[in-house]
Amino acid sequence: MLHKRISQFLIIYFLGLGLLLAIKYCFGLSDYVIPGFIDIQNTAAAVAVGYLRAVLDTLGVAVIGHLLAIALATVVAIVGRPDNLLGTMIKTAAYNLQAYPIVAVAPIIFILLGDGLPSRLLIAAIICYFPLLLSFIGILGEPVASIEHFYVMTGRMRWQLEVKIRAFENMHKLITVVTGSATLAMVGTIVAEFIGADSGIGYSLRIALYQSDMAKVLVALFLIGVFNSLYLVALELLGLVIQKKMGVEQRIQQ
Amino acid sequence: MLLQCRNITYRYPHGDALVFNDLNCRLADPGFHGLFGPSGVGKSTLARIIAGEISGFAGEIKRRDRAGILYSCNTERLPGWSSVGVHLTKVTPAAHLPLLQELISAFDLGSCIDSRFSQLSLGQKNRANLTRYLLQDFDLLIMDESLANVDEATRKQIIVTIKRMFPDKYFLYISHSVAEVATFCARIFMLRDIHKSPQLIEVAGRDHHGDTVMDRTALERTMLEIVHAA
Amino acid sequence: MNCTPTRLVFLLCLSFLVPLLFGCQQRGEEPGQELSYRLKWLYNINTAGDLYALEHGFFTSRNLRVVVKPGGPERDAIRELELGRAQFGVASADQVIRALAKGSPIVVIAQLFQQNPLQWIYRSGGAAYASPLELRGKTVGITYGGNDETIMHALLAKYQIAPSEVNLFSVRYDYAPFYLGEVDLWPIYRNAEGIVIAEKMAQAGEETGFFAPDLFDVRFVANSVVTTRKMVEEQPDLVRKFRDALLNGWQEALAPANAARTIALVHAHDQVTTEETIAKQLAATRQLMLPENGRMGSIDVVAWQQTEKIMLEQGVIDSPVAIEKALLTDGL
Repeated sequence: MLHKRISQFLIIYFLGLGLLLAIKYCFGLSDYVIPGFIDIQNTAAAVAVGYLRAVLDTLGVAVIGHLLAIALATVVAIVGRPDNLLGTMIKTAAYNLQAYPIVAVAPIIFILLGDGLPSRLLIAAIICYFPLLLSFIGILGEPVASIEHFYVMTGRMRWQLEVKIRAFENMHKLITVVTGSATLAMVGTIVAEFIGADSGIGYSLRIALYQSDMAKVLVALFLIGVFNSLYLVALELLGLVIQKKMGVEQRIQQ
Repeated sequence: MLLQCRNITYRYPHGDALVFNDLNCRLADPGFHGLFGPSGVGKSTLARIIAGEISGFAGEIKRRDRAGILYSCNTERLPGWSSVGVHLTKVTPAAHLPLLQELISAFDLGSCIDSRFSQLSLGQKNRANLTRYLLQDFDLLIMDESLANVDEATRKQIIVTIKRMFPDKYFLYISHSVAEVATFCARIFMLRDIHKSPQLIEVAGRDHHGDTVMDRTALERTMLEIVHAA
Repeated sequence: MNCTPTRLVFLLCLSFLVPLLFGCQQRGEEPGQELSYRLKWLYNINTAGDLYALEHGFFTSRNLRVVVKPGGPERDAIRELELGRAQFGVASADQVIRALAKGSPIVVIAQLFQQNPLQWIYRSGGAAYASPLELRGKTVGITYGGNDETIMHALLAKYQIAPSEVNLFSVRYDYAPFYLGEVDLWPIYRNAEGIVIAEKMAQAGEETGFFAPDLFDVRFVANSVVTTRKMVEEQPDLVRKFRDALLNGWQEALAPANAARTIALVHAHDQVTTEETIAKQLAATRQLMLPENGRMGSIDVVAWQQTEKIMLEQGVIDSPVAIEKALLTDGL
């Protein structure tokens, strides 16, 4: 799983790099527009340690933001689950708010909270929150009649049991959506850093772009890709462990 | 008397055609009764109306005070996070725990008690599901094709066991098998097409308990009566 | 047509490369062709002369069809020159030197600012900074990765002030930390936002001053007009006409007699800034751009060499670029 993800990323990255270099040499562009391979190597050696620290910083914020978003989405989805007034309001709000471009709100968050950890965390959480919420609402709001019926019939149904049934039955979907939103969390954190933070790989990217240093940009993109892949693999492994522990199996639909 | 349905009229929420029109029925005596009729005539719908799962019908259903009515069907599943045995133990009221062991033995579930529901065969699934319903406090249990995936011999054994173990309870057994309802049911409620009146008529079944030899001629007569009534 | 996967991949590559090929071709190879002139920033007072030249026919009178395109944070005039999307552009000295260090074939044909407008605004309370030594213990705003960071480090090094003796504060577009007094010196363009901020502070009853590194002998060249070496070699006449038209435009735009016209023109493109403010910005720009003696746009080679030296010492470039070879100080 790990080597598959990493090798997929490396293939895409080096294909892209190859294309850039092909364009460079075809059209005789200088290293200022597209850096040469030696330039990229030298730059990588010069900035590797700093960028590594930065990308780990970003990853840390992304992971925490992601966890916050998952926790909040779970709570809101549980509350918004029933077809009552509160549930309908929550569902409507979720569908409408998710259309908001969060990156437009990001500068306001930085102005209000400053450029430290809280802002980056909040933006990372917000960016992956709505897709998570919509999926969670869909999953936790959809009855699993074939299992719930007995509990309803015998008066045993409680909201905790209902959530447990629906989560268990849709564990694959939940894990898929959580893994999918991990990239969003990473992207969100990087965008937040790009807009207004003073640390992280997004901040480093902004400086590199300000300096028109494409070599630094490529090094940053490489590290982002590697660590994002590692994060996704970690989540997928965690998902497998959870499924195994809960006894979720591949079932053939009857 | 446990249950009386009077002038039940019902159409499906998004349909124009009536399903039931002034339907009447009475469940007076305990025992193993059948609900029979052609496919799509509304047997499951009527059963769910009786169980209180469907509202929005015209007419009246009178139930005995605090009557416990349960509805089960063969598409139900046990939750997958625990074994069949753990689940059955959990959902069995304390007073019925000795009954649990008896049913496990009678329904031949001993070999799969430690397995998860998804690992069971279709027949085992039907039996496990039915077992947990039988362990509840109820007055009437509606079995909507609850043994559809069980082989004939085992089905016969299960029905006989139910009749023996629960003589004071009401059962409403929905099945497509004429021979089965004719053999084991005390009363057979024949649900007919909407255009026929009355839509529901009663036919007496053989109410066989498995302890005597079945009178074949009487059985055939009952089966003919059922077929003609449809 | 039988679309096998191989053919499909080939067609996709072709559909990508062909437009790129055409896009990378040099335009403006013949007189009368459209010339793209990419500015460094959005339309504001720093583009007054460019707009004036366009509006008052300085280009067309020389048979030049020029399209002036605004810049921005995501725009890089030098990159556009190399890719053939522009024929002329505005870039700061650090951009030029960084590009030359990476082998970019560009030349400087005119230097717009004779004094760098990049300065630091501070609450003066009537007093001015007599020396950079007074920066010790102060909180100084810098844009990390920007040329103000390079200038400040050069200043600190020149006056042997350890970076730890100054509190460097990372800044962006939000001026709140300065208004709230969290930062003592804030980097601004003296002739642009410097005027606006000073006005705001004055309304709040606070006096402001401007800390100019130029005055302390740290000279870092600002915006200059660039083109490619190929353009200069193959079409010297075109380059000369463009430069002359542009510099004439700037000269006229900055002339006091034309102030009203310049102000109206800039305001038409920068409606957020009032005409009153633009007038003050114009006066400040005049002081920064027009040399005491000499032509508008003259290239100060010594200042350029000092800029290169600063960038070398700060590690922004790895080796010298011999900047004087990229400066067109002689006639074309």
